[in-house]
Amino acid sequence: MEVTNKIPEPEAFELSAEQVPSTSFTDHNEIIIEEVTRNHKLLHRHRLKQNNVSIGRDYNNDIILTDPHICPQHLSLNYVQGAWQLADNNSVNGTTLESENTKQSLSEQRTVNDGDVIVLGKSQLRILFSDHKVAETVAFSPFESLIDIVRNPIAVFISIALFMLIAANISYLNQQTAINISQIFVSAFSMSLLFALWPAGVALVSHLTKHDPRVLAQLGISFSFFILMWLSDLLEKVISFNSASNSMLGIAITLLPIALAFSLFWLNSYIGFHMPAKRRLFIAFAITSLLFGGSYLLQYSKKPEFNPHPSYNSTIMAPPFLLAPSSNVDEFVEQSNKLFDKASKAAQAD
Amino acid sequence: MKSLFAIFFMLLSSAIFAKESAEEIFAQLTPSLYQIKLIDKASGEKSSIGSAFQISADGIIATNYHVISSYARHPEKYRIEYLDHLGNTAQVSLVSVDVINDLALVKRQVSKDMPFFSLSDKKPSKGEQLFALGNPHDLGMIVVPGTYNGLKKESFNERIHFTGSINSGMSGGPVVNKLEQVVGINVATSGNQIGFLVPHEKLVNLFDSYLASPPADIKQQMAAQLLANQEKLMNALINSTWQSKELAGNAMFPLIDVPFIRCWGDSNADKTDALILAAVASCSLDENTYISSHFFTGSVEIEFRYMQAKDLSDNKFYHLYQQQISRAGAGNRAGKDDVSEYQCHHDLVMPESTANTSQEINNKSVFCTRAYKDFPQLFDVLYLGASIDKDQQALVSHFTLAGVSQENAMTFTGKFIEAVSWK
Repeated sequence: MEVTNKIPEPEAFELSAEQVPSTSFTDHNEIIIEEVTRNHKLLHRHRLKQNNVSIGRDYNNDIILTDPHICPQHLSLNYVQGAWQLADNNSVNGTTLESENTKQSLSEQRTVNDGDVIVLGKSQLRILFSDHKVAETVAFSPFESLIDIVRNPIAVFISIALFMLIAANISYLNQQTAINISQIFVSAFSMSLLFALWPAGVALVSHLTKHDPRVLAQLGISFSFFILMWLSDLLEKVISFNSASNSMLGIAITLLPIALAFSLFWLNSYIGFHMPAKRRLFIAFAITSLLFGGSYLLQYSKKPEFNPHPSYNSTIMAPPFLLAPSSNVDEFVEQSNKLFDKASKAAQAD
Repeated sequence: MKSLFAIFFMLLSSAIFAKESAEEIFAQLTPSLYQIKLIDKASGEKSSIGSAFQISADGIIATNYHVISSYARHPEKYRIEYLDHLGNTAQVSLVSVDVINDLALVKRQVSKDMPFFSLSDKKPSKGEQLFALGNPHDLGMIVVPGTYNGLKKESFNERIHFTGSINSGMSGGPVVNKLEQVVGINVATSGNQIGFLVPHEKLVNLFDSYLASPPADIKQQMAAQLLANQEKLMNALINSTWQSKELAGNAMFPLIDVPFIRCWGDSNADKTDALILAAVASCSLDENTYISSHFFTGSVEIEFRYMQAKDLSDNKFYHLYQQQISRAGAGNRAGKDDVSEYQCHHDLVMPESTANTSQEINNKSVFCTRAYKDFPQLFDVLYLGASIDKDQQALVSHFTLAGVSQENAMTFTGKFIEAVSWK
């Protein structure tokens, strides 16, 4: 005789609105406890699938902390009736919830919600549940590919070597006596060391604020930009050499180093720190203003009240850099005539 | 025997006569000699002193302009006083100046007609003995005998060369001949018995034009004199022959053929470790017009510099070359109250050459000017031309003119730029 047990097909049914439980849809018996700094930067993350979690300095706790201001059996978190409850075990220094401004320790059991930060001793613990909403994914900006090229050790080496060559050339040009190779080398090397302080400093600050220092990337991008700034200096010199007194190009070219500096600072902060885009723009703008504004103010304050010496553009370069056509004497004399009016007005002014 | 005695007594009497005439001169002329003091009103003390002498019965006294220059520029800060041979002092007023010849006329109060120096009507003869009178270093009136050596050669505004020990403090004092007539006024010394006098004709002109029409305003009078002097000087410079001369065998520069511009040459060929070989020719006008202690005008300075690289790259040569041309400046130390700040402009200029050559030159040219505050038609100008067309050679041409009009400055500049070229 065949006996078949028929398992009835379960009837499909829908939960009606009233039937949805009033607590959260998912079960919260999984808890994520993060040890964080005062600024909520993550130090260590624990993920626990149990209903009771003990926290304290003693080695028999589920989460063992080292802060000496925490008691051996400081507190426990218990999953009761679909919610997590916090219970302080009469600790010496107490426990508080950061969101509540009172310094009063929690006297009775308190419900803990997603995202709450518990303060015990001098440490902070953040509580998260597995359905905690995370921020949107940040797409790579176009700079990522640039940074990838630049942080390649070969690229870093090439950019530093190029920079040293440029520094050596500057030292050669300024030597007043016959060529001294060792002096040029020492000068180039120390210049490079000095300039390397900037990316090193940024990387250090990055590391100290719990970001990834990315030293190679910072070095690569900084030295690349130093080289670009030298090129813009050269371009400025060529334009200064070729242009007459009142040329627009001369004024426009002075903006290039400012733009380059702004870009470098923006990239330094992009590589080294996580922050919203607006903040990054603001920081790059602030440092650029400080640098250029400060040096401009310094120059301005050192100007004497009356200058008995003429100040004129004396930039000259070797003939291959001569690109502009020359005026004739009559044009030059005519331009000079305008100066007399300006001088007379200045003399009568005070 | 008689003839011997006669000769002896003649010699004796001439010796005594020579000794007495210096004393006589001193005794007779002292009432008309003065010390001039400039009193600083704020402190009540004298800030400068000089000598002076009376030239009319009604109290006109002559002295140097530079003795009273502080008063002429800042009349509200000073007053002028005289000190006479009896020790009396009183205030005088400034009535006329000749800033080009460093003369000034002041006027004192007189109660009755006074004795005065008479001005000679002819020049002294070379080798003639003269006597300079004055009050050196506030020590009291002295007489300094000396010799007339004619007019200083190669000067633009005439000065007498006098061999005698004039000292400072004697400025403004008269120089008289044996007949006690004024033939010059003390003005400057070169030390060691070389002194310079203003010829008396300049004082005669100043006095005559004062009597004809006294100036209404001293500053305006000075402005007119400075303008006229620079007109005379610039016309002489622009219209004389400009010879085209060689510099270091590779460049041509202009040499202005006038006696009062003198040129000197130099090079560093003897320095074997120099990176750049340089040859320089510089020319200048040897005199200038004193307006106040730190403010001189009327000067002309010209310089040409040829440079050649010795074993340098082109870029390094031009780097060092640029350092050489970046610090041009004015010759005088005029200050905030005298002049405005310089206004400058620059351009690339390729002139059509008037030099004796077929070569062309391409320059970076800089021109600067500043205006005089008290004399609105006068300017200090500065020009610098730096060649930029050869890889290893450079030619720098440069001049400064002090106290010139705009028109003269630009005519000179144009002519100058065209006269400099490669060989």
